[in-house]
Amino acid sequence: MDAWIALARGPMFRVALAACLLGLAYHLVNTLWMIIQSHRRSTDKELSLGTVLAATLGSLLPLRRRRPLQTIAGLAFHAGILLVPLFYVGHVTLWQPHLPVPWPTLGPTVSDALSLAALAGLAAVLMWRLLVRTSRELTTTADVTVLLLLLAVTASGYWAAHPTASPAAPRAMLLIHLLTANLALFLTPLTKIVHCVLAPFNQLVSEVAWHFPAESGAHVAIALGKENDPV
Amino acid sequence: MAIECSYYLEDLDTRELPRRFLEAFAAILSHSNYAPLLDAASRAGLRCSRCAVTCPVYQASGDRRDIPCHRSALLLEVYRRYFTLRGNLSARFGYPFVLTEEHINTMAEEFYRCTACRRCKKECPFGIDHALITRLGRWILAEIGITPKALVVATREQLEGDTHNTSAIPAAAMKDTCEFLEEDCADEHGLKIEFPVDAEGSEYVFFPAVSDYLLEPDTLMGNAAVMKATGGSWTIGSKNFDGINYGLFYSDRMLGRIVSAEVDELRRLGGKKILIGECGHASRSAKAFVPTFGGNEPPPVVNIMEYTYDQWKAGKLKLKPGVIEERVTYHDPCNIARSGWITEQPREILRHICADFVEMTPNRQDNYCCGGGGGTVSIDEIRKFRTTVGGRRKADQIRATGAKICVAPCANCKKQVAEVCEDNGLDVRVCGLHDLILKAIDAPDFMKTNGSAPESPESAEADTSTEDA
Repeated sequence: MDAWIALARGPMFRVALAACLLGLAYHLVNTLWMIIQSHRRSTDKELSLGTVLAATLGSLLPLRRRRPLQTIAGLAFHAGILLVPLFYVGHVTLWQPHLPVPWPTLGPTVSDALSLAALAGLAAVLMWRLLVRTSRELTTTADVTVLLLLLAVTASGYWAAHPTASPAAPRAMLLIHLLTANLALFLTPLTKIVHCVLAPFNQLVSEVAWHFPAESGAHVAIALGKENDPV
Repeated sequence: MAIECSYYLEDLDTRELPRRFLEAFAAILSHSNYAPLLDAASRAGLRCSRCAVTCPVYQASGDRRDIPCHRSALLLEVYRRYFTLRGNLSARFGYPFVLTEEHINTMAEEFYRCTACRRCKKECPFGIDHALITRLGRWILAEIGITPKALVVATREQLEGDTHNTSAIPAAAMKDTCEFLEEDCADEHGLKIEFPVDAEGSEYVFFPAVSDYLLEPDTLMGNAAVMKATGGSWTIGSKNFDGINYGLFYSDRMLGRIVSAEVDELRRLGGKKILIGECGHASRSAKAFVPTFGGNEPPPVVNIMEYTYDQWKAGKLKLKPGVIEERVTYHDPCNIARSGWITEQPREILRHICADFVEMTPNRQDNYCCGGGGGTVSIDEIRKFRTTVGGRRKADQIRATGAKICVAPCANCKKQVAEVCEDNGLDVRVCGLHDLILKAIDAPDFMKTNGSAPESPESAEADTSTEDA
C-alpha cells in the first residue's frame, strides 16, 4: 500500500500535473492566439473592453443570477475545488520544497469548511443534472462522469484528512484520493474542466467575433463560387 | 429527403446538402472571426441549461429545442466532428456523429425558433453568445439556400431590385406618401411639416424602416414634426430610403452590402450622419456595422429617439406635460436596449408627456423580446408560433401593466406586439414614441397652420437680423 501511495504522490502526481499544466497552457495560448488573429482581421478594431470586463466579472461572480440555489451550489463547489487543492496545507507540502518562495496556505479548519461546502455543492449540482428536466435533457455521460470524479476526489480527500470519520481504511482512502486527484488533473485539459482557464476570456471571444472583417462576405462568396450569383 | 420547415423556402437544390453545408462552413470559418467563438464553446461548453430560465420562447414552449445551449450544440457538434483534430480522431475510433440531411433539417427549423434577443448570454455562466452561434448557423444555411423565403425575397429587392427597399416602394410612391403625410398632418394636427427629399448637404440622411411609409404614418409625422420644430437639417434619399437590414439576422454577406448601400446614399447626398428611424434592428445594424462596412471615415449613426431626446433636453423642442391621459407602457426593443444603448431617453420623454406611465417587468437591458426578433416577425406563416409561444411572455407583461397604449419604438416590434395583443385578447393600442410626441409637441408658431410666423427657425432668425440691421 505504501509503495502505491508513494508512486501516486510522487511520479504519478508529477506526470498528471505536467499533463494538466501543459494542456491548460496549450488551450490558453491557442485561445489567446485566435483572439489576437481575429482582432487583427477585424475592420473595426474598437473593442468595448469596459463592457467585456463588466460582463466577464458578471459571469465569474454570478451575484445577480436567477435560480439562487443553483448559483450558491455552483459557487460553493467551485470555491472548494479551486482553493483546497491549491492552498490546503497538506497539499502545499508536495511542492513547497521545490519553490524558492513561501506558498500561501489554508489551515485545516478553513479547508474542511470549503471541502464540505464543495461536497454539498457538487451533490446539489449532480442532483440538478439528474432530476431537473431541462438540465437532465442536456446532460451527457461525460457531464455526470466529471461531477462524480470531482465528488470522489473531494470526499476521499476529506476522509483522508479525517481518518476517524472515514468509511474505509485511512491509507486506502488516501490512495483513492491520490489516484482520483491525479486522474482529475490528467483529464482537466481533455474535458470541459478546461473552462477553468478559458472562462475569463469568453466574453472577449464574443466581442471579437462580433467585429467582422469587412471583406469576409465577399471572400466567402468567392470561395463558394457564388460571387456573381443573385441574392 | 426534402427540407421541411415551418416557414416557406424558395426552390432548393437538395443535392449533396451535407457536403455543401460543410463547404460553406469551412469557407466561413476561413474568412470570418467565428472560429474562436466555436472553439471556446465546443471545448468548454457546459450545457448547464441555465440559459433556459431566461429564454422567453422556452419559458412558453417547455420544448427542449428552445433551450439555447441545446440549439448551439447542433452546430457545435458539426464543428467538433469536422473541424477539430479531436473530432477527426474520434471519427476514426467510431464516434458516431455524421452530418446528415436530417441534422441540417433540424438546424434549419430550430435556428429560426430563436428570436436572437441575446437574453440568454447574460445568464450563461460561461458567457456563451448563443445568438451569435445561431446567427452563424443561419449564415451557413443561407449559403446552401435555406433561408425563410420572406427574408430572401425582401433582401433581394433591397439589394438588386428596382426599388432598393424591402417593401418594394418606388421612390415616386414614397414622395407621394410624404406629400400626403404633410397634408394630413396639417389637417389632423394643425402642424406644418416637411419631408425633404434629396436635399444635398443635409446633416442627417434619414433611414426609417421602409414599412413605416406603409403602416406607421403617425410615427413618420412625429419624426418630421420634431425635425421641423428643431430646425433639423435632414433629408430622405430617393435612391435608398430603407433602414431595414435582414442581413443582421442571417448573413454577414447581406449585412455588409446593405450597410454599404446606406453609406453610399449618404455620400451621394453629401450628408454627415445617418439618422435611423424608430427601428431596433435597423439602428443596431447601422450603429454596430457602419464602422466595419462604411469605408474610410464611416459616418456617425444616430437613432431618431436620441436626436429627439437631445433636442428636448437642449430646450429646442417643447413637449406638453401629461397630455397623454391613458395608461402607457414601454417595450424595450432588444436591439437597442440589451446593450444599454437606448433605454432611458424614451422613458424620460414618456414620463413627461404621459399622465400615467407604468413600466413592464422586467425591462431595459433585461427586457423580454416581443417574440418576433431575429427576422421572424416577417415570416407570416409562423404567426401562431410567434404570438402564442414566442410572444406569450410579452403578452403577460403588457397585461400585468393594465396599459391601454404600448409604445414599441421599432417597426418589427410594433407589428409583432400588435399581433401578440390581438392573438392574446389584449385591448391595447401599439404605437411608436413619435406617435405620442406628435400629440404632445408644443409647436412653435411657425409650425402652426393657423399661425402667421415665419417658415422655420432659420428664417425667423434671418428676419430678426434683418430688422436689427
